[in-house]
Amino acid sequence: MVRETKTHAWAVSTCQNSAAPRTIAKSPSQLKQLRLRLSPSSRNTVVAKSPRMRVMTHIVTRIVTRIVTRIVTIHALAVAAALLMVLVSLGVGRFPISAMEVLSLVSAALFGGTANAPENADLILFSIRGPRIVAAFAVGAALAAAGAAYQNLFRNPLVSPDILGVSSGAALGAVLGIFMALPLIAIQGLAFIGGLSAVAAIYLIGSSLARTHGHDAMLTLVLSGVVIGSLLGSGIALTKYLADPYNQLPAMTYWLLGSFASVTKKDLVVALPVIVLAMLPLLALRWRINLLALPDDEARALGQDVRRLRLIVIVAATLMTAASVAICGIIGWVGLVVPHAVRLLIGAEFSRLLPLTMLIGGTFMLLIDTIGRTVAQIEIPPGVLTAALGTPVFIWLMVATFRRAR
Amino acid sequence: MTLLSLEKVSIGYARRTIATDISLNIARGDALAILGPNGSGKTTLLRTLLGLLAPRAGAVSIDARLITNISAAEIGRTIAYVPQASAGFFHFSVLDVVQMARAPHLSWFAKPGDRDRAIALNALDQVGMLALVDRNVDELSGGERQLVMIARALASQAACLLLDEPTASLDFGNRILVLNTMRHLKQRGMAILFTTHDPNQARYVCSDDADRTLTISRDGHVVIGPTAEALRPAALATLYGLSEDVFQHHICVSENF
Repeated sequence: MVRETKTHAWAVSTCQNSAAPRTIAKSPSQLKQLRLRLSPSSRNTVVAKSPRMRVMTHIVTRIVTRIVTRIVTIHALAVAAALLMVLVSLGVGRFPISAMEVLSLVSAALFGGTANAPENADLILFSIRGPRIVAAFAVGAALAAAGAAYQNLFRNPLVSPDILGVSSGAALGAVLGIFMALPLIAIQGLAFIGGLSAVAAIYLIGSSLARTHGHDAMLTLVLSGVVIGSLLGSGIALTKYLADPYNQLPAMTYWLLGSFASVTKKDLVVALPVIVLAMLPLLALRWRINLLALPDDEARALGQDVRRLRLIVIVAATLMTAASVAICGIIGWVGLVVPHAVRLLIGAEFSRLLPLTMLIGGTFMLLIDTIGRTVAQIEIPPGVLTAALGTPVFIWLMVATFRRAR
Repeated sequence: MTLLSLEKVSIGYARRTIATDISLNIARGDALAILGPNGSGKTTLLRTLLGLLAPRAGAVSIDARLITNISAAEIGRTIAYVPQASAGFFHFSVLDVVQMARAPHLSWFAKPGDRDRAIALNALDQVGMLALVDRNVDELSGGERQLVMIARALASQAACLLLDEPTASLDFGNRILVLNTMRHLKQRGMAILFTTHDPNQARYVCSDDADRTLTISRDGHVVIGPTAEALRPAALATLYGLSEDVFQHHICVSENF
């Protein structure tokens, strides 16, 4: 860090002493080599042949290599942590299965042969814990990715995936379903539809207001989100107030707290494709989504059709959040804080941010769910644990990053 | 060759036309300063030139083609916008920011490749900011940030640069740095259009005989003419609504800039 500060001071003094274009140099001794300037004819073409360009390329390559090494290390650690977490989560619980047994069961399932494990262990592994692990990982990845995308879209670090009302809409759908004593699948369906229609309503109101009156689209969207969200909130409160306090009210409260306990293979068959399909456009457009972080005029001056890109991001993020909320209820914190944690690790550039955010969001959610179902007699709702465990980790990360930056 | 041309253009919004009958031709190597009091419509004019705002009347053309018939990406490849520098919302690195200028050259699903990175680095080098390539934009000073914004515009390889008050809120040294960069780019054959509140900057950047200055007064009166003509104390006094005596005094103070 000391070296960089020096470089910086030196670069500034160079800038102020000479007329443009000034040469760059990582140290005064390199200045001599850099004296050779780019000829005007090569202004708009990339010529990597001149000695000056070679020196420049060498310096930049060193900087880039350092950054890339750091990014690769972080990714390797994150992948290792995810695999370890899956293994641990498969093993622990009421019915402990040792790591060797887990591995033998998994290899038996993949490559055939007989597993060296207790009876029924395969049932627990593949029918109970397996789907639950997949659900926790997918939901964590989806919420974190949606949060990262929305923070970029609204250019606001305090935004979470439910800024456009997806959670309130889904919650109203679910409590209405419970109130009408519908079967679980219908409750989940109502939650999904509720989430989507809330966002659709807010988007239509916000964007049409912005279009007709020429106001800032993002601001009108957020404001519509706030007012419609509170309207939905009063609907939820009314339903809870009218509900049977002995059967329905606890079910509603339980649902609103979120849980992976009741996730089955059948839920996954419906929800997982939605989540994966919604993630694809975000992943495909992950570099371009950076442009949404710029003010509208700047992004448009760079040739970006801002409205179309924004709509794609909103649809994708809403679909995956709604699918997540439908199978496991409302889980806060992950979508808000995991993207920030990843930004502290590798920076805000979205094409780097998104994949790692998904990986760490999934791993974190799996960790939370595994702890939630093992440490106490009763299951601790993930919504409670995310903040309780995540906050100290996040504060530590913040302190460590700021200390390093200094 | 004419790069950018305005023919009897009216600028403004649906309910308010700001200025009418603006005709102008900009070729490579030209410089145009845009002067006018606050709220006179300088930014509206810039937005019209960028294709962000449709003209109320008349025709804006780029390379002899109507701006309304050109895709946004193509406009972005021809005209680069240098906004007033702000730290932004997230902490992008300098290289990330400059690489964003490659957007009009890339398909929707593409990421900048090695060639784009080389172009971005070259652009940073041209404004002398290459040493800051891995720093975060929010750690830079105002002047450095403005130069990074200019580098971003250069990385889009546009022939025409539109700068919105490029020296606003910069200290005296940084101001000169930015103005020198602008003058240098003009000498290299780029067209430079910029808004400013300081008539001296018009004098400094639009120093060739062919360079002109555009003034918009608050009532929408547009004058395009030789810079020396526009900077006469009498003309400036009318533009800013001051008496000529007051103006004479202030302009003398900085005459030798």
